[in-house]
Formats: sequence, structure tokens, C-alpha cells
Amino acid sequence: MRTFSRPLLCALTALAFIATTLATPIGAPAQSRLRVLATLPDLWAITRAIVRDLGEVRVATRPGQNPHDLEIRPSQFVLVKRAEILVRNGLDEDAWIDPIIESSGNPRLLRGAPSVVEAARGLTILKIRTGPIDRSLGDVHPSGNPHFTLDPGTLPVVTGNIVAGLARLRPDLAERLDANRRAFLDEVAAAARRWSDALAPHRGAPLVSYHDSWPYFYQAFGLEELGIIEDRPGVPPSPQHLVALIRQMRERRAKVVLVESWYPTDMATAVARAAGARVLVLPQSPGAVQGTDTYIAHLDFLVTSLVRALAE
Amino acid sequence: MRTHERRPLALLVVLSFSILAGPAHAQDADALRRELEALRQQFASVTESYAQRLKALGDRLQQLEGRDAPAAPAPVPSAPPPTTTMTATAPAADAPTLADLARPRQPFALAQPGRVLLFDIGVSGDFVTDFTSPTRERRHDGTFAGRENRLFPREVQLGFFGRIDPYASAVVRVSAGEEPTQGASSSRELSVRLDEANATLLTLPLGTTARFGLMRPRFGTLNTVHQDDLPQVDRPNVLARFFGEEELDGERGIEAFWVLPFSTYHELSLGVFDGDNETAFGRGSLRDPLLIGRWRTFLELQELGGLQLDVSAATGTTADRHRNTVIGVGGKYKWIGAGSGFPVLTLAAEGLGGFREMDSDSGGNARVERWGAYAYAQYDVNRRWAAGLRGDWTELPVERGREWALSPYVQFKPSEFLRFRLQYKHTEGRGAVERSAEELFLQGSFILGAHPTERF
Repeated sequence: MRTFSRPLLCALTALAFIATTLATPIGAPAQSRLRVLATLPDLWAITRAIVRDLGEVRVATRPGQNPHDLEIRPSQFVLVKRAEILVRNGLDEDAWIDPIIESSGNPRLLRGAPSVVEAARGLTILKIRTGPIDRSLGDVHPSGNPHFTLDPGTLPVVTGNIVAGLARLRPDLAERLDANRRAFLDEVAAAARRWSDALAPHRGAPLVSYHDSWPYFYQAFGLEELGIIEDRPGVPPSPQHLVALIRQMRERRAKVVLVESWYPTDMATAVARAAGARVLVLPQSPGAVQGTDTYIAHLDFLVTSLVRALAE
Repeated sequence: MRTHERRPLALLVVLSFSILAGPAHAQDADALRRELEALRQQFASVTESYAQRLKALGDRLQQLEGRDAPAAPAPVPSAPPPTTTMTATAPAADAPTLADLARPRQPFALAQPGRVLLFDIGVSGDFVTDFTSPTRERRHDGTFAGRENRLFPREVQLGFFGRIDPYASAVVRVSAGEEPTQGASSSRELSVRLDEANATLLTLPLGTTARFGLMRPRFGTLNTVHQDDLPQVDRPNVLARFFGEEELDGERGIEAFWVLPFSTYHELSLGVFDGDNETAFGRGSLRDPLLIGRWRTFLELQELGGLQLDVSAATGTTADRHRNTVIGVGGKYKWIGAGSGFPVLTLAAEGLGGFREMDSDSGGNARVERWGAYAYAQYDVNRRWAAGLRGDWTELPVERGREWALSPYVQFKPSEFLRFRLQYKHTEGRGAVERSAEELFLQGSFILGAHPTERF
């Protein structure tokens, strides 16, 4: 009779031992609490403002991490495994979550399932590419620019999508979720007036950024996008592009070059120096800077920093 | 008499159906009610979002019509609540019942918004040059046997991947490349082969994910990595010696895996395969299947990085009907700099042990025990440049002999889709692989179209 070899048995025994002794079983969560996973920090901050004490909202990326070239880490599988609802951007910025879901054994979060909220649904999306799209354009987002939460005007739709998704799963919490949403939108509306007033003296100011992260922010506060250093996402810019951009900045007296905190500043610094402008490093998502882990605190930080830079 | 015997059986069947059918109908009605409620809510949400869009467009039109000043920020309206009927059924319990676990998950919408029903298509090309001495070229004992001192397509792969239906996804990869030389002859012909063709079942009970077909099994640390994604130009010596140049690939069978319900990551996978790998197994029959198991864990160390550990075992039968068992232990540590995500430091190591039955000189069975390992360190200076060093030491799995190698390398990535590598490799072999080899590899690889996200 054929038997398993001793090494295999040893390996399997060791495997079972390690799995049962080292791991801490997850305690059964309270039945009434929502378990939400947001793919990106901005959606995490917004969803937390809606869920408040009704559940736990986790985020699949670390604040301050570049979501464009994210590396899948096994710890993300655990987050997906535990969540009962997923809030995702909906415009391919977080498409990396799909292979994680497919290997996590939690089919409730597969794209298209009722437990998945696509935050962008119903929004007017900027910069949707037309014509032939290939990688000569860099790592483009074919569905349009995904950084819509930087415009507070998009929040009624975004929060509406989130509440509809959460209420679909937990109708008993719909009223409380909606009350939280209304309160949050009122806070954002009040803050948006403050932000608009602060930036009012700089309406129409020409700005340059390293990555194409800010079109919604510009649109919300009447700022002008003069140019982008990284004209093809993920591909270093050509010298010709930089020369043309610097010339344009000089002509238009552009004062500030915005650099997202996860990009190197050397090239932006060189461009700013050549054009007589200054570099302003800003976090594109909440939580990257201490004390900015709420949506309003994050926008407060962005607006205050920009006003200060434009005023200098 | 026989009719009488059948009657109680028929009655039992009818009774069983009537007992089972009652709750099933009630469950169906309940499910339909919930679905209707969900549809009602979706409709209300869509209506609301369209109303908001129309209002926003109206506001924008008004601004444009009287545009003396630049556009003001969009006001934040207090949006109406999502219409939800509060007579809805009680929320689903968090802990699923046994019946819930045993039932396949409910279907859901298939198409992604704005996308046609098409799968992703990607092409990867991997070209290598192995510069070495005329002696190595003549003896065909370089790392890329029979392809020394030539630029050759190691693998050009066409991949299709996507969802089959709400319950499953599939991957098909077809590749062409120059195969390793058998014997003394050198062939430049390209061989086309089916590398992978498997379907993954995503909605099985008990959190099970399973795939069946032709696949690269979950064994060890580097085995699941495709040629064009390897950290160095060549596979480590121990893997190439124990499993062949392409490692444990192209196995036909079924594999199930689970992410265990613990607070830290633990993945367990078990697979049953034909055992087609000719170097290690080769029996190629489910009557003596190749069994593979792997446990993998990950420790998230936050600012200090992340550590992945795995333990694997594979046991199968060789073509001459002897048992061969290979065990593997691997670890990978990665530290990523804060902010821009660079620099990145990667440290990884993997060891294999082989336990093989063979015919002994005295006519009985003898057991051969062989070991090997590799370790490497890589430092990614920035998005484009990286450098590393790999060390190899391995015994031969069947013959008497061992070898060690040292390989420093440098990598340049103009973009995410294009990569060049330069690697020097010094190898010292003893016994059946007696040689001292100096090799210089140049590699260029590219990706066209869709590509999978990089993993830890």
C-alpha cells in the first residue's frame, strides 16, 4: 500500500500547527455594525463621515501612498475578506482591487455585485479621452480623470451613491445614514463657502502641476490649469515639453507648481526655478499629513497652503 | 409485489419534495421581495443623481450666460435622502448559516459601466542575450543551454483574461519561444505552446476559490511568477535544477485555495495535478497524481515594511514510477520608503529539499536527498533604476554534483511597460556539472495592452 512520504506529512503537520497557533481568529463582529472597505483615502474619509458610529470603515491603501502604481500586498486580502461592502472610485484608479477580490474568497465584493459602490456613478467626469488611446499616451485613465472628490460640488452625488449602497445592504440603517450624510453635506457646504472666499482673490490664477490630479479642484475654485509637467502619466516628460511649459509659465507669470506628495520634486523644482515660480508639495488625499484625515481638514490644508503660496 | 415495494419509496420522494419545496418557495418570494426593494432603491438613486446633474448643468448654463466673472465654485446642495422604504426586511445576519454557506452566491450584473463585454488582452515580450565563452557555447552548458551568444526570444506571450460569467473568471496564455536544447544540437525554431488555460470559480461556498485546467501551480515563492516578471534575468539555479528552466509550469489539474478567516493573512492552497513536469515528476497520470500544498502568510510591519513567508510541498511520481517529494520554504521582506514610495529594499530567499526514490545499484530502491537555495537583495533607487545581487547554491536532484553562482545585476525601466536588465553570472560547478562559467545577460522585456497589477 502506498503511503505519503514523511517529508510531506511533516510539512503538512507544520503547516496546520502554524496556522492554528500563530493566527488569532477574528472575533465575530457585532451584528449591527457595518464593515466597509474603501479603496482610497478620499473615499475612506467621506464614507467615515457618513457611517460614523454605525460601523467600521477601513481603507485598502495607506494615506500618502500613490494609488497609480500600487503594489498588491497580502494584507489587503484580509481587509477584503472581512468587508461586507466596498466603496470604490469607479474610474479605474483602483482597478488593482479586482485581482485582490478574486483571490480573497469574498465574492460579495466582485465588481457589479450589490455590495459594491461605484462612487463616480452619476458624476460629470472631466478629461475623458477621445480618439485612439494607447500606451504612447502613458498610463492614462481611459474613463476620465478620477480625482473628482477634490471638487466639493461632487459630494452630493458621491455621498448619495455611498448611502444608497449602504442602505441597500442595511435598510434598517438608511435613515441614520442619510441623517449623517445631510449633516456632513451641510458641514462641507459651510466649509466650501470659506474655501471659495479664501481663494476668491486668486480666481483665474494659472497653475502648473506635476501630475494631472487637480482638474476638479481648479474647476471648483475658478483656477486655471496652465499645464502639467508629466504630460504622459507615468512617463518622464520630454525636454521639448518642459521648455514649452517654462516659456508659457513665464509669459503667464505662473507662481506655483503643485507636486503631489508621492512624486519626486527634483524635476518640478527645476521647472519652477527656470520659470521664476515656486514648488508647493501637497497631499492629494486625506491623512497624508498629520491632522488631515477628514475630508474637510484635508481641503482646509490644501486651500490654506495654496492661498499662502499664491500670496507670496 | 414489486409495485408495493416502490410505493413507500415514491411517497418518500414526494414527501421530501413537498417538505423542501415549501421553504424554498418562501425563500424565493423573500429573495424576490428583497431584489424588488433593491431595484426600487437603485431607481430612486438614479433619478436623484439625474436630477442633480440636470440642476448642475442648469446652474452652469446660467453662469455661462452671465459670465462677467470666472466660474464660481459649484454650490453644495443639500441633497435629498436616498429613497428607502423602511418596511424592508430585517438586515442579513453577519454570521452565515450552513445553508447560506452551501448555496452558491446570487448572480449580479455582468457588464461594467461603459465597457463592452470583452476580456482584457495583453502581450508581453521577453528577449535575452547570453554572452559567454566559446567553450560554454560548444558544450551547451550555459544558463540558457543551446542559446549561448545569441539574442533569442525567451518568451513572447499572448494573454487573454477576464470574467466568464458572474461566477468565474478565466486566463488563457499562449507563448512562443526558443526551447532549451536537448543534447548537442542547437535549434533556432520557435515553439508555440499553450502555457495556461484555466478557469477560476469565484463564488464557491466556505470562501473557497478554485481553478481548474492548465496552470502554474501555487508552489513556493517564485514559481507563480511568469518569465517576464522574474526579479532577475534567469530563474535561480535551484529552481531550474529541481524543476527545469521554466520551473513547475504547465500542470493540468485542479487547485483550491482559501484566505483563512484570521486577523492576519494566511492563505492555504491544495492542488491535484497530472504530474506533467518531466524534470521532477513526469508520470502524467491522475492514477498517481501530483499533490501540491502551500501555506503562505504575511506580516504587515507598517513603516518597517512587510514580510511574506511560505511553506510548500509537492509529491508525485516520476516517469519510472518512483516517488519524488519536494518541499520548499521561502521568505520575502520588502521595505518601501515613505512619500514617493522609493527607495525600495527587497530581501528574499527560498530553499528546496528533494527526496527521491531511485533504483539502487543493488537492484532495490534507494532514497536520494538533495538540497538547494538562493537568496537575493535588490535596491530600487527610484522608479527607473534598481540594482541587486543574487547568490545560488544547489545540489543536483539526481546525479552527484553541486554548483554555486553569484549574479550582480542592474535594471532600468523607462516606464512601467518597458524594462532592460544587465546581469553578470559567475558559476562554479562540481561533479556532473564540473565547470567554471562566466556569463553576461542582457534582457529587454515589454508589455502591450493590459497587464496585471504588480504583487508584493
